[in-house]
Amino acid sequence: MSQWFESAIVRAEQVNDWLSPVRAEALQTLKRASWPTRKTEAWKYLSLRRLEKSEFAQQQESAQITPEIIEGLDSLDLTFVDGQLVDLPADLPAGLSIVSLQNATDSVKQWAGEIIGDIKPERHLFGLINDTLAQHGVIIDVAEGVSVERPIRISYMSSEGSEAHTRVLVRVASNASVTVIEQAQNKHNSLHTSVAEYAIHEQAELTHYGLMMGGGAAMHVAGMHFRLAQQATLNSHLVGFGSELNRLDVDVQHRGEQADANINAVYLLRDAEVFDLHSTIEHEVPHCTTDENVRGIVADRSKAVFNGRIHIHRDAQKTLAELNNKNLLLSREAQINTKPELEIYADDVKCAHGATVAEIDKKALYYLQSRGISREQALVMLNFGFINALVDEMPHSALAEWLRPILRNRFASMDVQ
Amino acid sequence: MLKINQLSASVEDKTILKGLNLEVKPGEVHAIMGPNGAGKSTLGYVLSGRDGYEVEGGSAELDGSDLLELEPEERARKGLFLAFQYPVEIPGVSNMEFMKAAVDAALEARGEEALSSAEFLKRAKQACKQVQLPLEFLKRGVNEGFSGGEKKRNEIMQMLLLEPKLAILDESDSGLDIDALKVVADGVNSQRDGQRSFIVVTHYQRLLDYIEPDYVHVLSDGKIVKSGDASLAKELEAQGYAWLQGYEDKNGAEEPVA
Amino acid sequence: MSYQIEKALHREYEAGFVSNVASDTFPPGLDEDVIRRISKMKNEPEWMLNWRLKAFRIWQKMEEPEWAHLNYPKINYQDISYYSAPKSMADKPKSLDEVDPELLATYEKLGIPLHEQEMLAGVAVDAVFDSVSVVTTFREKLEEAGVIFCPISEAVHKYPELVKKYLGRVVPQHDNFFAALNCAVFTDGSFVYIPKGVRCPMELSTYFRINEQNTGQFERTLIVADEGSYVSYLEGCTAPQRDENQLHAAVVELVALDDAEIKYSTVQNWYPGDENGKGGIYNFVTKRGVCHNNAKISWTQVETGSAITWKYPSCILKGDNSIGEFYSVALTRGAQQADTGTKMVHIGKNTKSTIISKGISAGRSNNSYRGLVQMHGSADDARNFTQCDSLLIGDKCGAHTFPYVESSNPSAIVEHEATTSKVSDDQMFLCQQRGMDPEKAVSMIVNGFCKEVFKELPMEFAVEAGKLLEISLEGSVG
Repeated sequence: MSQWFESAIVRAEQVNDWLSPVRAEALQTLKRASWPTRKTEAWKYLSLRRLEKSEFAQQQESAQITPEIIEGLDSLDLTFVDGQLVDLPADLPAGLSIVSLQNATDSVKQWAGEIIGDIKPERHLFGLINDTLAQHGVIIDVAEGVSVERPIRISYMSSEGSEAHTRVLVRVASNASVTVIEQAQNKHNSLHTSVAEYAIHEQAELTHYGLMMGGGAAMHVAGMHFRLAQQATLNSHLVGFGSELNRLDVDVQHRGEQADANINAVYLLRDAEVFDLHSTIEHEVPHCTTDENVRGIVADRSKAVFNGRIHIHRDAQKTLAELNNKNLLLSREAQINTKPELEIYADDVKCAHGATVAEIDKKALYYLQSRGISREQALVMLNFGFINALVDEMPHSALAEWLRPILRNRFASMDVQ
Repeated sequence: MLKINQLSASVEDKTILKGLNLEVKPGEVHAIMGPNGAGKSTLGYVLSGRDGYEVEGGSAELDGSDLLELEPEERARKGLFLAFQYPVEIPGVSNMEFMKAAVDAALEARGEEALSSAEFLKRAKQACKQVQLPLEFLKRGVNEGFSGGEKKRNEIMQMLLLEPKLAILDESDSGLDIDALKVVADGVNSQRDGQRSFIVVTHYQRLLDYIEPDYVHVLSDGKIVKSGDASLAKELEAQGYAWLQGYEDKNGAEEPVA
Repeated sequence: MSYQIEKALHREYEAGFVSNVASDTFPPGLDEDVIRRISKMKNEPEWMLNWRLKAFRIWQKMEEPEWAHLNYPKINYQDISYYSAPKSMADKPKSLDEVDPELLATYEKLGIPLHEQEMLAGVAVDAVFDSVSVVTTFREKLEEAGVIFCPISEAVHKYPELVKKYLGRVVPQHDNFFAALNCAVFTDGSFVYIPKGVRCPMELSTYFRINEQNTGQFERTLIVADEGSYVSYLEGCTAPQRDENQLHAAVVELVALDDAEIKYSTVQNWYPGDENGKGGIYNFVTKRGVCHNNAKISWTQVETGSAITWKYPSCILKGDNSIGEFYSVALTRGAQQADTGTKMVHIGKNTKSTIISKGISAGRSNNSYRGLVQMHGSADDARNFTQCDSLLIGDKCGAHTFPYVESSNPSAIVEHEATTSKVSDDQMFLCQQRGMDPEKAVSMIVNGFCKEVFKELPMEFAVEAGKLLEISLEGSVG
């Protein structure tokens, strides 16, 4: 059993606010849950030992940290520091409302209270912990037919020794469109659980970035959960860097016909980083499509885990779903564990998945070197070549351009045996 | 041989054939031409009993027996053959295995004994050569990875082996180069023996340069609106189908000649 | 259309008859005493009994696994009888002439005549009836080549050194719940030893038959192919049609020493239960082989029977350059459930594995592929290719794929692909337009889907598999 988990349950009893009914229910489930071990399928490859004995100070005041500026990205910025919402954008465009969890008006409470915790599947242990402990958060509402041009950027910052639980709830009303960037870049010893729930209504479109770019001793367990109504579109771009403990659960529920989900994910791990990506796509109704492309480069002593599940329910005829996972394993000490799963209960569907694990193409490496390119540079080029297609597909070029040199530095420091 | 009387049929509740009449006598070759959407392919599917093609009225008889009451395989065993416009792939089932099963079924229906594997192989090889496909096509999966032209030749090969009484060729010329077109035409012509009949469905006159039809019919909006001899096809080639619009308005549905 | 397809797949279970044979059957229940009695019935040496008892103590501490995608009521292990043998076998008949004609008739009816002159020339058979081996044919001919092929109960007496050396070495007693149970209570099965450099002159085959009710069958097979040898082994199984569920928990261990090759084929046709899921065999089987340097083990299975199938024939590719193969067809219909696949554990350098799995689900059945490909740090230049295809027939069944890939060697390459398809209306119509009835069309399309696996079966078995899914014309094209 985990000391930390026990203390979390004790602390959860003390939280009291307008979400108490939701919290109480989650706490009941949590009390029945057992702490994951290696025998728990969802945590088979990711050890929680480091967290079990951890203790964190209760932050009274948030530290003075500000997120990095992304040049050329004209974003509406929201910043969480040590779990507190310190920055809310002013001058919101018409049709967009952003309020903090604590300052929600009664009308916001009414709709938000109904869907919060409902998009996120119950099975996620840290999701339940977040249900009980996340006192800070933000509720974003995009009104019907409104296209919000400026991306909303949510930064998660933590200081040394902090523990934070944050919540994001986004409603994109019918025919509306919006871009939301979730970004974490902590390196300090800390724990953060973040849960984001997105309700994408009829014919609405969400462009989403999940940038899990922390590292070092920053433990981050994140959930990004999406519910799609009829003809809704989700384009999600995920980047994972890994840390001592870095986990991301992505859930997509197709609830309306002709919904379309596209997920691109890359994880690029070095040193002793660990990154665990679990994605579950629920096709509950007919005529929906999913296209999921996941690529990973795993170097040094790092470990990548990918579990991609596509579940086609009995009624979801005419589903098109594809999942592709490709990995480059650069080192003998590194490890990749991948499991692309299909669970299919409808016959008239087109479903496929594929997974590969290979090393960097030695012939190509040699070819580049023979043209006078240094080994290091050649490796950077080849690694880039492997993931470029997914970076290129990011619709916000400022973000992609900001990301490229960061990736280049990362690749340059990786070693190839 | 084939008598179609006032045949109406629908697909997904949309009426496509609207009272079609046609009689084909032994040994005759009938060409059916017409614009896209006239119901040309539908006719082949309705006659061969494809699922989803609902007969709303009229009749179709092959040698006196009511086709429309029969299962697709029973119609085939009565000697009706449809060369598909878009032949489907059946992975892993070799052409050879497939055709042996088809030929066996035809022979059994006629009360004849099944062919020995050796005899069947001989015939299959001969048919394969006749449509100018390499012999390895016998071993390959049915249409699996075949090009468009290869699929069409494969259909003709099946026709050669099954020796039907009545063959309906559904746009067997579409997407073919001139050499492949000749192969298809030669296949048909080699089977013209004064008894076997053909319905050649095509959009273009080109195929009819090689398969001389006895009659040409124009199908428009689910009915045969004009019939004539081979010269009608040439006329259509020159004029296109645009005249049909006005033609129908003026003349309504005309009784076919044949 | 799919109604026609389902109808076409509906066939009677032909092996469902009961043989009228008087048997000695233990009353239901399991404790150390039962194990001592089994051991005594087999007249076993002390070491064998101790080995069983050790396994039993391990088993008592274990829990039944629940990770498979299977749903069945809890098995009460005290309700099962752990030993049953025809009374006529008590005197150990010395030749076929002394065997109870009713037993011979049973195998005759199943298409396996045990008189050597009537048998397929190239196949030797060990016929296992409930808990005992009835007869093993062609033994003299095999002995000439130095090949040992006998019931494992006999091998314990005649070849104790070989049995001691290899038994439980591939699947240890504590490996899993069902394997531990088997170690404690196994009754009979086959033992095969192929000496160095010998190519076994004929196919070896074991035919398992469960007859008695309320009994479990716990057979154990051990095949050792010494250096440079080759053997092809076939396994078949059937059971009577009964309303109760019967447990079958077998263990198969294969050892392929340097440069040896073992080809192991199974056509599993245990009684699947009726359309509503009543009755049928619960098939929980552990099959594993270890490959030494340059050795090869090839598993081919055609799984059409059992109410529950839990089975993962695996290869430990320990030696450099060794090869593992798994070719599987699993057909489930009615209320059947199958969770089957393989494990390929690459330890040696330059090891290669191929997995081809074809799952066909119909009715209300569920069919899962579960596989593990593991590349150890030592497995330089190892290769795996996996192809899992599912075919769904009707909209009430399920087809699932759970492939685990674990790699920690950068020079190893793993490729996994999976697809799902159905028998399309277009395919059915083409076949029907060419004069085939729907039954023929379905079996032909399904056979085509399974072709890559069927071509791996030995000729004699391809026929049996073909009978289950309709005969193909494969190989008749010149």
